[in-house]
Amino acid sequence: MIIPVIWMSAIVYASMITLLSIGFTLTHMTAKIPNFAHGTYAGFGVYVSFIAVRYFDMSPYFGFPASFLLGGLIGILLYKIVVSTLRRMGGGAIVLTISTIAIQIFMAQFQHIFAFWTRETYGLMSYGFLLKKNDFKFEVLGQSFQGIFPVSFGLVIAIVVLLRWMLTGTKFGIAMKAAAEDPELSQILGINIDKIQVASWFMTGGMACLAGALLPMWFMGSPGAGARLLISCMAGSLLGGLGDIYGAVIGGFAIGLIEIIFTAQGMKVFGLWVGEYRPLIPMIATIGILLIEPGGVTGWYSRWRVGGGYERLMARLGRSKEE
Amino acid sequence: MIEIAASTAVVYQRIIIDIAMYFGLFVIVAMALNFQYGNAGVPNMGCAVSASIGGYTVSAIITRIIYYVGTNANIGMKPYATDFDWNYNNQFNTYLMNDYIAEHALFGMSMFLFSIALGFLMGWLMGYVISLPAIRLRATYLIITLITMADAAQILGRNVVWISGGTLGMWVPNVFKWYPGDRTIIMAVATMLIGIICYFILRTMLNSPYGRLMRGVRENDLTVQSVGKDVTAIRRNVLMFASGITAVVGVLIGYYYSYVIQSNFIRATWTYWPWLMLMIGGAGNNAGTFIGCALIIAMRRIIIVYKWSLEQYIWYPIVIFESQLLATLLLVVMIFRPDGLIPEKLLRIPGIDYKRLVHEEAEVDWRIERTDPSERGGLLSRIKGGGKKKEEAE
Repeated sequence: MIIPVIWMSAIVYASMITLLSIGFTLTHMTAKIPNFAHGTYAGFGVYVSFIAVRYFDMSPYFGFPASFLLGGLIGILLYKIVVSTLRRMGGGAIVLTISTIAIQIFMAQFQHIFAFWTRETYGLMSYGFLLKKNDFKFEVLGQSFQGIFPVSFGLVIAIVVLLRWMLTGTKFGIAMKAAAEDPELSQILGINIDKIQVASWFMTGGMACLAGALLPMWFMGSPGAGARLLISCMAGSLLGGLGDIYGAVIGGFAIGLIEIIFTAQGMKVFGLWVGEYRPLIPMIATIGILLIEPGGVTGWYSRWRVGGGYERLMARLGRSKEE
Repeated sequence: MIEIAASTAVVYQRIIIDIAMYFGLFVIVAMALNFQYGNAGVPNMGCAVSASIGGYTVSAIITRIIYYVGTNANIGMKPYATDFDWNYNNQFNTYLMNDYIAEHALFGMSMFLFSIALGFLMGWLMGYVISLPAIRLRATYLIITLITMADAAQILGRNVVWISGGTLGMWVPNVFKWYPGDRTIIMAVATMLIGIICYFILRTMLNSPYGRLMRGVRENDLTVQSVGKDVTAIRRNVLMFASGITAVVGVLIGYYYSYVIQSNFIRATWTYWPWLMLMIGGAGNNAGTFIGCALIIAMRRIIIVYKWSLEQYIWYPIVIFESQLLATLLLVVMIFRPDGLIPEKLLRIPGIDYKRLVHEEAEVDWRIERTDPSERGGLLSRIKGGGKKKEEAE
C-alpha cells in the first residue's frame, strides 16, 4: 500500500476545507465581514451531487459545473438582496455579521425541505447518503484509488493557480486587491466596487458549493453536512490570517490534515473515545491561534520579514555556502 | 360539555404558563445581551455557553449536593459514584429525593437559592474564560471564538457523562416539591421575580457612572482609552457579568424541565433568538427588549402549540417553516427598521438635565450616520438611492 487510506481521507477533507477557507478569507477581505453562511453554501453542493447521481444517473463529476454556478448564483443573490441593501441602509459590520447568521438559518432550511420532499416523493435516502460507489476507481502499483482523491487535490491546486493568475496577472484581480485594501481610494481611481463585490461573492459561493459537491463522495452527506464544516473552515482562515489567500490555503490544508490525522492517531493511542472529540480540534486550534499569534501564518510571516529574519536566514545560508 | 370546557381551560392555562415562563427566561437573556451589545458594544454570540454552564451547574454540582444530603439522611439511595450508576440510578435517586424535599421545604428552597448564586458565579467565571482569547481583538474574532465555544460546550456535555448524563440527559430533583399545586406555576412566578430583580440591577448599573462609561466604550473606545480607562477590562467585566446573568437562566430552565441535557442548549435557541429579540425591539433600551421578547416568544409558542392546525396548510415540517419565518423576520427588520421598533433612549443622570445638555449645548450625535427624517423619503427610495442622495446634497 503506497498511501494509507487515512491519509487519503485527510487529503480529501483538507482539500474541502481549503476551498472553503479561501472563500471565507476572500469574503472577509472584500466585504470585511465573516460570512457565517459560508458552510451552508457547501450544503447546496452536497445536494447537487445527489441530484446528479440519483436523479440523472450520471457520474457526480458532471454536477461540478452546475454546483459552481449554483453556488455563485446564491452568493450573488445574497449580496444583492441582503448585504448590499443593509450596507446602503448604514448597517455596520456587526449588523452584517448577524445578517449572515440569519441567512445561514434561512438557507439551511431549503436543504431540509429538499431532503424531506425527495424522501416523501421518490422514497430516496436523502437524509444520510454516500456516493462512494458512483465514483470511478483506478489502480496504480497495485493499490486501487477512489477517483475523488486525485480530483479533489487537483481541483485545489488548479483553483489556487487560477486565483494566483487572476489576482496578479489580470486587471480585474489587481482591481480586486485594491478594493480590498482601500475601497474609497480605489473608487476614486475609477474601480467599480459593486462589480468587484459581485464577482467576489460569485467566486466564493461557487468555490464553497464545489467543496460541498466533493463531500458525499467520501463523507456522509446530510442536510446539516455543509454547516458542520464551518468551524473547521473558520479555524483554517484564522490560521491563514484572514487577510491573505495563500495564508488561507496553508491554514485550511493544515487544519484539515490535523483534524483527521490527529483524531485517527489519538484513537489508536488513547482509545476510541477520542473520535467523539474531533470537532474540538479546530476549536482548540482557533483559540490557540488567537492566544499565540492573532495574525495567523501571514502575521507571523510579515513579522519575520520585518524583523530581519529573512536576511538572517539568507546570511546563514550564504555563510554555509562559503564554507 | 363541562369536561371539555374544563380541559380547554387547562390547555389555555398551560399555554399561558408556558408563554409566561419562556418570556421570563428569554427576557433575562435578552436584557443581558442588551447590556452587552446595546450599551457596551460587546457582540456576545456565546450566550449558549453561559446558559449551558447554568444547566450543567444544576446537573453536576447541585444534584450531587442534594444526593449527598439524601445519602446522609438514610432514605435508601442507590449508589451514584461511577458514571454508570450516575446515569442509570439517576431516576430512582431523584424520585427518592423529591419525596425528601416534599417534607423539607426549607432544604428545597435553600438549594434553589444556592443554585442560583452558584450558577451566577460559574457563569461569571465562564465569562472570564470565554473572553480570554479574543476580547482584546477585533469584534470579528470575538464573534468567531464565541460561536465555536458554544459548540464546544455542547460537545463536552454530550461526551462527559458526569456533567449532565451525556446523551441520555439527567433528571434533576424538583426543589419545589413541597408546593401542593402546579409546579410550573411557582416556577414561572420565581422566574418572573428573578427577571424583575435582574431588570432593576441592570437599570441601576446603566444609570450609574459605569453605565455611561460603557456607552463611551461603545461609541468611541479610543477616546475612553485616552482619558485613562482600561477598555479591555471594561469589556471583559461586562461580558463576565452578563454571562453570569445568562447562567442563572440556564439554572432556571434546568428546574423548569426537571431535566438537563446538552441538546437543550443549542446555539440557535440561546444565541440566535435573543439576538433576534434585541434586533426587533431595538438595541440600547429595555422597553424594546421586552417588546421584541414578547413578540418572538408568543409567535414561537403559538406555532408550537397549534402545530397540528398549521401543518394542514404547509406541506413540509413546521419546524422548518418556523426557522424560515424567524430568519426572514430578522432580515426584514434589519433592512426596514435598522433601529428596531423603539429607538435608543438617553441615559438618566440624577440632578442633570442630560437631554438638554446633549441636544442643545453639546450637540453630540449619538448614532453614527443618523439622517434627518425629512431627508429620508419613502421606503423604496431609501433602499434604492440612500447613498445617492448624500452626494446630491453635497
